[in-house]
Amino acid sequence: MIVNDIEVLFGGQAGDGSLTTGDLIATVFKRMGLDVYTFKDFPSRIRGGHTNYIIRAGEHPHYGVADYVDAMVAFDLECVEKHVDEMRPGGFIIFDNTSEQLTEAVRRADVTYYEVPLAKIAKEDLGLELVRNTISLGVLSQLTGMDPAIVRSLVTRQYERKGEKVVAQNIGAVEAGENYVKEHFASTPSGYGLRARPDVDRLIMMGNDAIGYGALAAGCRFMAGYPITPATDILEWMAKHAPKYGGVVVQAEDELAAINMVIGAAFAGVRAMTATSGPGQALMTEGIGLAAVTETPIVVVECARAGPSTGMPTKTEQSNLNHLIFSGHGEVPRVVLAPGSVEESFYLTVGAFNLAEKYQVPVFILSEQAMCQSKETTPRLDLSAVRVDRGKLHRNGPLTFGEYKRYEFTQDGVSPRAIPGTEGGMHLVPGSEHNDAGVITEDARNRVRIMDKRMHKLVSMRPDLPKAIVHGDRSAGVAFIGYGSNRGPIGEAQDRLAAAGVPSRFLQLRTLWPFPEEEVRDFLAGAQHIFVVENNMTGQVERLVRYVTGPMPNMHRVLKYSGRPFRPIEIIEAVLEVVPHSNGVVPDRTSQPVHSAAPAS
Amino acid sequence: MATQLTPKDFATATPSWWCPGCGDFGVLAALKQSCAELSLQPKDVAFISGIGCSGKISGYLHSYAFHGVHGRALPTATAVKLGNKDLTVIVAGGDGDGYAIGAGHFLHAVRRNPDMTYIVMDNQTYGLTKGQSSPTSMLGYLSGTSPAGNPDAPLNGLAVALAAGGTFLARAFSSEPKAMVEMIKEAVRHPGFAIVEVMSPCVTFNKVNTYKWFKENVYHLSDIEGYDPSNRAKAFDVLTQHGKIPLGVFYREIRPTFEALTLKDSPAIAGLDIDRIDPKLAELQEAYA
Ligand SMILES: Cc1ncc(C[n+]2csc(CCOP(=O)(O)OP(=O)(O)O)c2C)c(N)n1
Ligand code: SF4
Ligand SMILES: [Mg+2]
Repeated sequence: MIVNDIEVLFGGQAGDGSLTTGDLIATVFKRMGLDVYTFKDFPSRIRGGHTNYIIRAGEHPHYGVADYVDAMVAFDLECVEKHVDEMRPGGFIIFDNTSEQLTEAVRRADVTYYEVPLAKIAKEDLGLELVRNTISLGVLSQLTGMDPAIVRSLVTRQYERKGEKVVAQNIGAVEAGENYVKEHFASTPSGYGLRARPDVDRLIMMGNDAIGYGALAAGCRFMAGYPITPATDILEWMAKHAPKYGGVVVQAEDELAAINMVIGAAFAGVRAMTATSGPGQALMTEGIGLAAVTETPIVVVECARAGPSTGMPTKTEQSNLNHLIFSGHGEVPRVVLAPGSVEESFYLTVGAFNLAEKYQVPVFILSEQAMCQSKETTPRLDLSAVRVDRGKLHRNGPLTFGEYKRYEFTQDGVSPRAIPGTEGGMHLVPGSEHNDAGVITEDARNRVRIMDKRMHKLVSMRPDLPKAIVHGDRSAGVAFIGYGSNRGPIGEAQDRLAAAGVPSRFLQLRTLWPFPEEEVRDFLAGAQHIFVVENNMTGQVERLVRYVTGPMPNMHRVLKYSGRPFRPIEIIEAVLEVVPHSNGVVPDRTSQPVHSAAPAS
Repeated sequence: MATQLTPKDFATATPSWWCPGCGDFGVLAALKQSCAELSLQPKDVAFISGIGCSGKISGYLHSYAFHGVHGRALPTATAVKLGNKDLTVIVAGGDGDGYAIGAGHFLHAVRRNPDMTYIVMDNQTYGLTKGQSSPTSMLGYLSGTSPAGNPDAPLNGLAVALAAGGTFLARAFSSEPKAMVEMIKEAVRHPGFAIVEVMSPCVTFNKVNTYKWFKENVYHLSDIEGYDPSNRAKAFDVLTQHGKIPLGVFYREIRPTFEALTLKDSPAIAGLDIDRIDPKLAELQEAYA
């Protein structure tokens, strides 16, 4: 039996309530002490269209999807047709056979099928079609050995708001599912089991929520944004919570307005941010230049999705990095940070606000659909570790007008900032080139000096930038470089490669701009094969690395741009193609043999 | 108690840049006069301007001034006001800035009704880029980009604002300083989004809408017997009539400001202590436990 290691794919038509049940399953796994990662694979429409929700649980900290799906809960035939090839040999499918029947084409000999008339039971036995999803939870619970008490307490918590009757209906639905399994499938065990471990003080949180929470903790009290998938969650999270702490959230008329509002609020002395995705980021480009040249501290969250243009709004990609680093006219300082987990999303967001104010620059937080809309179990977030550093913000009384210079030339390039309301600090903040006093000028000597001042901040900020993390064996010949959501699949690939006798090192970049040249150079010393793993077509990080290293014969791009995150096997296979190894097969954690090709995804 | 300031106290050391005779001089003078008469303090004035000849004005008013990008002054200013509602926020920009590239923001600022003053310095042309037609240029206006005559009907910004829910609408003429000062003062006092459109001739490029032309083509609302600026229908009627250009305060209405609706009674955000972490923040994690 496979214990405490399962990937569930919960699928049907969009808008059928599978989100709620998927979240419930994830929380049950979390309460049973497992490490959980969820991935939403939604169509870009509200109702209809195939949708699925992956919930992976295990005893490991590598957040990401697995090589295979272990358990599918399919509400229609389309779901089985689409994903049957992704099933692990030995896995099982729960299928609602109320109105459709399984076809021969989707029957695999190495997969167990549990056909349950979910909709029929819901309607005829329970009198409520809506509880179909909850019945499936009961079926899954019984087949995998979820703790019935935990399932009941979470179902109760989920439906409490809707009253006792709804709670009772859903508990009844769980029981109906459990009973159906007991009555019909007693002799066909699923082969999967769960064993509860202590759930010690952990959270299960979505990346976007962690960013919102980090912003609030860091003192962000103004947010403006324009709804866009997959960033909207942050705007909604802040709209719900910021007012309780004296803050305000504005739904702007477009992203041009949003970014200029954030700049206005920051000019007034408020920690401010916006969150958007590719198309909105394109519109915000103008504002980034303005923030940078006026040295106004702002934080911009980019929740990347598949481009170009409208692209695939609900799919994941890492193709916007070039845009964040290079977009805009003129040359301006900016910072790009990329968290590699939900937990890091919180701490890096806090750090982003401090960097923005300390160095008076725009700071990007780069997340991706596969992380910002994914949930992960994470240790409690430590508020005592949060420090607010407002840099050279002038807060001690009046200034002397005439002496105070907003853009004073200093050693570190950072000038004291006076905000409106401060006696004696009056000045002009111009998007046009200006001198140290903020007076607009095209003087040649001043131009060079003030450009140097602004850009020098990229140097002086170096000690404060989040460091890259080296995972694995620092002296191994195989080296990975990656960032963001690929932290999970690369980490998992590393473990499995090591078990097969191929040790590796992995540099998880967390500051992508200014590019950490020294860290990359140090990390690569002695590496024999370098794999730069990214979700884009042109190898954006690999190019940056090559700027640092020059041509490298043994540098390989491992790219995926189907809109879906890497499965670890895809990374493993890319390595084994070029690295000599003894046994052709690298077992994954469940010791199932890995078959030739990666499943289509 | 701060001493009573004079217009000079609102001057900066930066010499103004406009062509001799430009209508924008009049706007600047009236603005300084209004600030002094309203007993404002420079430290409490946030002055945000657009891009254009008109937009240069932020360099000449002693205050906390922000000269942003073309067309975006209103969103910037809205957020300055939200960030520190104790400030007096004034915005100024050209007809192109406000009614072309910034037209979207204009409508939404009107809808939101933040408590601030917006001065549209209307010269019916693009001054800074050398005289092309603007959204308020007259039909047939000849310019580098409209050599065969401007084919676009001029935009009636105040009428549009009235339709969109504007709460204070006025029009002044740059060479009638006294009336302009009164309108600006009233606009600043108005608790809401107050628009003062100023006919501000571009002597260099607009050879049609000159001082002389204006003198012949304006009239005053005070000439209309019993004109009542709380009568919305009448205001719309006057604003949309063809013929001579009316000057004065067209419409006034009190409705809740954006700050009142969003910030309620909470203190100015910029003054909040964010250095200490509110222990209540820890409780938010329970929903995820
Ligand atoms: C995004 C952008 N597009 C174009 C310009 C060039 N530009 C500067 S001012 C201006 C128009 C100015 O007209 P208006 O707003 O009426 O101001 P005026 O100069 O007439 O006072 C233009 C098109 C710019 N600065 N930014
Ligand atoms: S070009 Fe026209 S608008 Fe610009 S400063 Fe000269 S007169 Fe004034
Ligand atoms: Mg103009």
